[in-house]
Amino acid sequence: MKYILMMNTMKAGQGVLGWLKKDLQAHIGFMIGVNKELRGRGELVSAEGLSFPDQAKLVRASKDGQPVTDGIFPESKEFLAGFWIIDVDSAQRAYEIAAKVSAAPGPGGAPLNMPIEVRPVMSGPPTDML
Amino acid sequence: MKYILLMSGTRAGVEAYHAWPKQDIDAHMAVLHRINQDLAESGEFVSTQGLTEPKEAKVVRGEKNGLPVTDGIFPESKEFLLGYWIVDVANAERAYAIAGRISGASLNMPIEVRQFATHEAKSR
Repeated sequence: MKYILMMNTMKAGQGVLGWLKKDLQAHIGFMIGVNKELRGRGELVSAEGLSFPDQAKLVRASKDGQPVTDGIFPESKEFLAGFWIIDVDSAQRAYEIAAKVSAAPGPGGAPLNMPIEVRPVMSGPPTDML
Repeated sequence: MKYILLMSGTRAGVEAYHAWPKQDIDAHMAVLHRINQDLAESGEFVSTQGLTEPKEAKVVRGEKNGLPVTDGIFPESKEFLLGYWIVDVANAERAYAIAGRISGASLNMPIEVRQFATHEAKSR
């Protein structure tokens, strides 16, 4: 079963830019280790990190079908910082992996315990909709 | 350059979608399917996924002992990711054009466009 683990942050999440270099290195090293372990177990489908919220754009189609871009988001908006897609045997295993990345080290090496949103991924649209 | 196009909605929005007549849902899915085919033909398609409903979402934190703590309580206003497209395109304008097309097929709903942090991806 495929699950997506989403790491969301507020705009304030850009505070990571103010971390000490060694803390940032420890954090990235931890994430690389998790990915390596998941890949070794055949559970990793993909993992990506996204650019910072200041580069995010919101796009809508105008009446003539042309894209209209906007970069104004509510202060309370959660931005996706990165995600993992995993293929695991049970929801329990997905939660275990989510807990592991939740506890990634932050400033001073203390676990961040950040919330990770976990959702099953659909393998495709229902066949009666194709 | 890789971009992710994120389609998000609230729980109320998802419920409203379920109330659409079947023919409208079919037409909506057909247009999205056509967009995927066009992206595959132009070589810009990387992947797309639809997510299950917000009611199946859980939020997980690691406890001090490393065990997962799950919770399914989200604020009513929370936007849930409904699905995404990853595209590999020549520039941001092209990513916006694709997002505009998806938006036009989906009640002109806003599509969030974000670039991948490729320097991190390389180090993995």
